[in-house]
This record gives sequence, structure tokens and C-alpha cells, in this order.
Amino acid sequence: MKRNVAIIGCGQTKHSSRRRDVNVAELVSEAVFNALEDAKVSLREVDAFVVGNMPGFGGIAQPEQWLGDSIGAAGKPVLRIATGGTTGGSVGQGGYYTVASGLHDVVVAVAWEKHSDSKEAGATTGLLHVGLANFFHASAYGLSLKNLVATSVVGAAAGVAVYQATFYMYRSGCSIKHFDMVAAKARRNAAKNKYAHLQWPGCTPEDIAKTEIITYPFRYGHVCPASDGASAIVVAEETVAKKKARQPAWFKGLASYSDEENQLQSENMGGVGVTDPSEQRGAWLSAMKAYRMAGIRDPQKEIDMAEIYQPFPSQELIFSERLGLFDEGTAWKALERGETDINGRMPLDPSGGVNATNAIGSSAMQRILECALQIMGKAEEHQVPKKVHNAVAHGWGGVTNYTTVTVLGDSPGR
Amino acid sequence: MRRRVAIVGYAQSHHQHNMQKTREDMVFEVCKEALHNAGILREDLDTVVTASSDFLDGRTISSVFLSMAVGAFMKDESKVEEDGTFALYYALMRILAGSHDVALVEAHTQGSTLNPHQVTCFTLDPLFDRQIGVLNDIAAAALQARMYMNRHSVSEKHLAMVAVKNITNAAKNPYAHRKMPDLSVKEVMSSKVFYDPIRELTMSPISDGACAVILASEEKAKKFTDKPVWIEGVGTCQDSYLRDRNIENLDSLQTAARTAYKMAGIKNPLAELDVAEVSEKFAHEELMIYEALGLCKKGQGKNLIEKGTTRRDGSMPVNPSGGALGADPVCATGLIRVIEAAKQIKGEAGRYQVPGVRRALAHGQFGICAQKNTVYILGGN
Repeated sequence: MKRNVAIIGCGQTKHSSRRRDVNVAELVSEAVFNALEDAKVSLREVDAFVVGNMPGFGGIAQPEQWLGDSIGAAGKPVLRIATGGTTGGSVGQGGYYTVASGLHDVVVAVAWEKHSDSKEAGATTGLLHVGLANFFHASAYGLSLKNLVATSVVGAAAGVAVYQATFYMYRSGCSIKHFDMVAAKARRNAAKNKYAHLQWPGCTPEDIAKTEIITYPFRYGHVCPASDGASAIVVAEETVAKKKARQPAWFKGLASYSDEENQLQSENMGGVGVTDPSEQRGAWLSAMKAYRMAGIRDPQKEIDMAEIYQPFPSQELIFSERLGLFDEGTAWKALERGETDINGRMPLDPSGGVNATNAIGSSAMQRILECALQIMGKAEEHQVPKKVHNAVAHGWGGVTNYTTVTVLGDSPGR
Repeated sequence: MRRRVAIVGYAQSHHQHNMQKTREDMVFEVCKEALHNAGILREDLDTVVTASSDFLDGRTISSVFLSMAVGAFMKDESKVEEDGTFALYYALMRILAGSHDVALVEAHTQGSTLNPHQVTCFTLDPLFDRQIGVLNDIAAAALQARMYMNRHSVSEKHLAMVAVKNITNAAKNPYAHRKMPDLSVKEVMSSKVFYDPIRELTMSPISDGACAVILASEEKAKKFTDKPVWIEGVGTCQDSYLRDRNIENLDSLQTAARTAYKMAGIKNPLAELDVAEVSEKFAHEELMIYEALGLCKKGQGKNLIEKGTTRRDGSMPVNPSGGALGADPVCATGLIRVIEAAKQIKGEAGRYQVPGVRRALAHGQFGICAQKNTVYILGGN
């Protein structure tokens, strides 16, 4: 009864701090037309579009209404999905449901961010605005401004991530040294990915360790960049997929469970909030559901590689455990043994991941796209040496509460 | 459609200009009431899809502090950023895909937080139209109205007649914002001009409001209720950008309607539909909507309003609830139309009930000059 759905083409743009050579519409269409070319699909064959980005960071509301014509969306259904850091993952999953529903057969899902157009310094501070409207309420109703203050001291993405990292260090016994190793791996891997932003061939943990601590336990060298970039996938039902692609990347399982919002906000809402932001029950639930759909019983054995959403290196360790790829508290040991390297037993982020490239709306889409490239054998220089049968793509965002987990495979599965 | 999907519960807030409630409270109350209306618990939900906008809510990731308020905590959820009818579309697709059975769809905007008309300036082409600073949704609607009126000899009186019909209908709707039971054409035509010919009473009010709908697959729907309202057809479409389309027509609405009619097997909408609930942000749009929905030929929308065909007691009632002219909490407006259409089918519309409704149409729009449109055909059996 389920409709088999696959990714048949991938397209992305070169990422950098400032893509001054293009405007947003041109950036997005670059990714879309790369994907269509890769899929050997013409615009006429596309039934619908799913799009998304973080509107505040680009300074345009509903940008698809203006740039729809640039990607050939006029006269077609366009669904806009935006969920914060997970936007790209949510857009990719939206692409799946659009085809799986039977309402459409061939769909383009595209996600992007052009940070440099905005006056924001980037995602790391832009997230302060999650609490902005609380200020209006607080002043309108004469409430204490504690709400606003609490949201500000969180320090946005970096502010949440430091709490999360220290909790994880306590839980697992890992140290800053392991964050150096993850960040160095991300930059080394990125050097093999021609679309990536922070490329550093041969980067070592010692190189990263030379950078200063900016907020404990993170060094400057641990932090993701703010990138301009876009990524797109072409999603199709089985008949089209088999006709167009030699090796489609099949959607096997997916989920996006919401957890509770970050600890300080929840404290204001009655003190019943998350006490350990590294626990991530939403990620755990999403993974369980996605694996169940995919018929995967033992992810440690059946998953061949993963693309984890890791703007900060601690998150690669945390989420690889929450997704069941390593036992609780052991991811850093696997890292030490080199298991998560490109040629390791469980390669994590062979593309360099979000730590090396962060066009925020697009970042979680890139995880899906990179898994698809690995399955299709199109990852070029950063292709993992082993055959990839099953891969898991992760997205993370909100104020620690949103997760997307997508399992792709080389066969439609059950 | 691959599965039959039904609306089994709904709720909406009492829309008003400044609700004196936090967004979280407002949203929590409608979601709780919708679950109650469906006779189910939060535990019965498989998925939650919400609709809101970062710009309209005045915060980055508008949905982020609402997971608990909408009941999405530890649920498979997502958010669309546009009208609620698109969230319904996504929830419907999630059920049709076979991976979920019961969905809650929520949509809201508090227009009192940030003026929604100002926000529309940020949807303009940032490289040209926004820089010039003369356009917003009202200005664009005024251009559209004049083009349409000149082409088809429509007068300001016709626009006022639409406003009187909808705003007096709204007076009977306990949830509507703008209630003027004795409104006259003269009063509308003497209300304040914003951009000629758009006046205060020929455009929608700025409302705070939220609404929620519970969707269920056939098997679940039959368990939950004796009176499911089935989704028989759906269509959605986006037009070209303002500058690249002929705003005199609502082409994307026409495409969306045709898709929905085809799915529902409707050949003659005027004869086969019993009522329509449409999102007319401006009075002239309702006339254009009649035409795009195929209720009349091009340019003849004014005849329907002149003859009273679309009045509540006419042969093809449109917006017996008062429509968007009655209340316009931006992202919720289209989903409220779906609820009102479902209420008509179930006979729950109280003082604005149209007798004998079996099949109803609901329409949602988003963007300047109704750039994006979604059409639903709902049926009772």
C-alpha cells in the first residue's frame, strides 16, 4: 500500500561566506537546475515544489512568492515549510510526503540560506529573535521581563550548545580534545567536498587546539561558519525513479519528533523544562520510528554511514549515540579509534557536515542530499570506500527541540 | 486519492483585534477544544502540522515555543509558513502516504503584534519593488481592483454590496471579528479610503485568531464520529510574482479549483456545490473568485451579487460565515473557511446555517493579490 519514493537527482551550490556573484533567486535556481540536470528531468516533468529557508536571516518574507518564477514554480503547487535549523530536513521530508501521498509524482525540494544579505551576524546570533515577540507580550501585559532576559542570556545557538556540550561531557566522560578531533575531521573531509565552505586539507586536532576558547567548552575552531548556499533534490515515485536513475536513493523511513523547548524558557513556563539538553528524546524517538519504517533492527550493523547535523562538534558525538549508531557515552571512543573517519567502520559526515558548511535553512537538506550521493555513488572525492546500502540523515534545530531523521537506502526496502 | 480522509473535529477562537491573550494561550485553547470536539485525546494524534509566519509572529522560528501548546510534544510534527489550508494539505499528504492516521492542523496569527500589511512589504522583490517603497498588499489590491472594474464595468457599489453581504453575515457568527448587523451600502461607500477604491469596509480587518482541525483516515474517522466530513477534492497552485502576472485574473485559483473539481468529480460547480467559503481579503476579490471557481463566466461576478445568488438565502451562498471581511487572522483565515464549510455540512452553523448542505467548497489564499491558492471540496457522505 505504501508508495515507493526515491531521490533521483541532487544539486547544490558552492558555499562561501558571501556569494556576491548571485542574488537569492539566482542562488536557489543554481541548486534547482543542478538537481534537474543530475536527475535528467525537465522542468515540464516537475509536478510540484517544496521550498524553505529561515526567513529572518535573509530578510525576505515568503521568498518563494518572488523567486518562484526563477525556479519554474509558477503555475504549480508550491509548499513552503520552515522549522528553524531543521528546515532543510523538513523540506526534504515534505518532498517525500508530497510524492508518497500519490497527489504528485515528481517533486523538487529546495532549501537555502543567504546569510550575507542580512544584517545579522549569522545563525549564531540571529536566533536571539526566537524570543523577540515575548518582549511585546511582556510589555503589553505588564509582565516581568524575565522571559526576555532568559531568552537573551541563552546566547542563541552557541549559548544552547555550550550547555548541551558540558552536559554531554559529564555524561560520557569525553573532553575538549575530542571536540578538536571532530572539528579537524570536518575540515579535512570538507577539503574533499568541492561545494563545502571551510576546507582545510590535512587539518589536525592540534591545529584546532591552537585556537582560543570563546565560550567554554568551545574554541573558535569548533564553531561552524555562516554560509551562503542552496541545495535541492528531485524526488520521484517508483516508475519514474527506475527509468531515470541507475541507482536511486530510496526513502526507507523518516520522522520528526518534537522535544521540549530549551531549559531557560521552560523554567519560565513553570520550571518543568528540560534539565539535560543532551538527552534529546526527540532524536531518539525519531530514529526509532524511522528505523522501524525502514525495517532496520540493529542500526549499528545495518547503517553504513551517517550525516549528522553538527554545527558544534559535540553534536556529532551526541546525536550519533541518540540515533543508535553507538552505545550511550561511547561515540568519542569510536572517534579515537578512527571508526568515524571517511574510511572507517561508521563514517560520520564524510562531506564535512554542518561544522564546515552552514547555510542554515539548507544544512539539514544537505544531510539528506549527501546520504543520497553516497548511495548513488556520486560523492566523488568524499565517497566512502565501502558500499553504502543504508544511510541516515539527521537534522536538528528549534531551541534544542526539533529533529528530523531520514533513512535512505539502495533498495526501496519493505 | 489513495485513502479517504475526513475532518472529524475543529475549533476556532473568538477572533478580535487585540485578544489580550498570549499567543501560547490562544493556540492551546483552540487545540484542546478541537480534540474535545473530535472526542479524542492528545495520545490519539500521530502527527501535528501548524501554520504560522516568522514575520507575522515577530520572531524567528514562529512555531518553536508552541510544541506543547499545540500538543506536538513527542509527536511527529512540522510547520508550513503560509495559510492554514497549506498546513491542511501537508497533513492530508502525511495521512495519504499511509504513515499516519490522525493529524491535528493548527493555524494562527495575532495581527495586533505586527501590522500584517507592513509585513507584506517584505514579500516584495527585495531588489526593486521593496526599494521603491510604493507597494504593499493594499496598494496592489487597489491596482487589481481598478483593472478588474474597468475591464468588466464593475462599480464601487458592487464592491460595497459584497462587503454588506459578508459583514452582515458575520454579525450572526459568534466567532467573527467585525459585526455590523445593520451595515448599508451607503455606509460602506463612505468609509475611509486607504488606496482608491479600497476602503476600510471593503478590506478585511486586522484580527487576532487561531483555529485547529483534526483529520483522520477512513478507519479512524468511522471510529471517532458518525458524521465525518470527507475531503473529496483538493488543489493548490502558485501564480507568477506580482510583476510577471496579469493581476486582473486569478489564474492559480482557477488551476487549483479545476484540480479539486476533477478529483471530486464535479463538472458544474454552480449546480453541484451547495455553499462556498472563500478567503476574500478585499471585496473585489470575491467577485474575481466567483469567476475563477467557475460559478459564473468571466466578468459576470457582479451579476451574482446583484441578483443575490450568493446571499445566505440565495441559490449559491458564498461566505455565510462572513468570510475574511468578517475576520482575518492571516494564517488562520483559510483554515477557518474549511471549518465553516464543514460546519455547514454537519448542520452546526447555527444562525447562519444554509439548509441542506451536502457539498461545500473552501478556499484559502496567501500572498499579494492572492498569488497562492488552495481549494478543498468537502462532502458529507
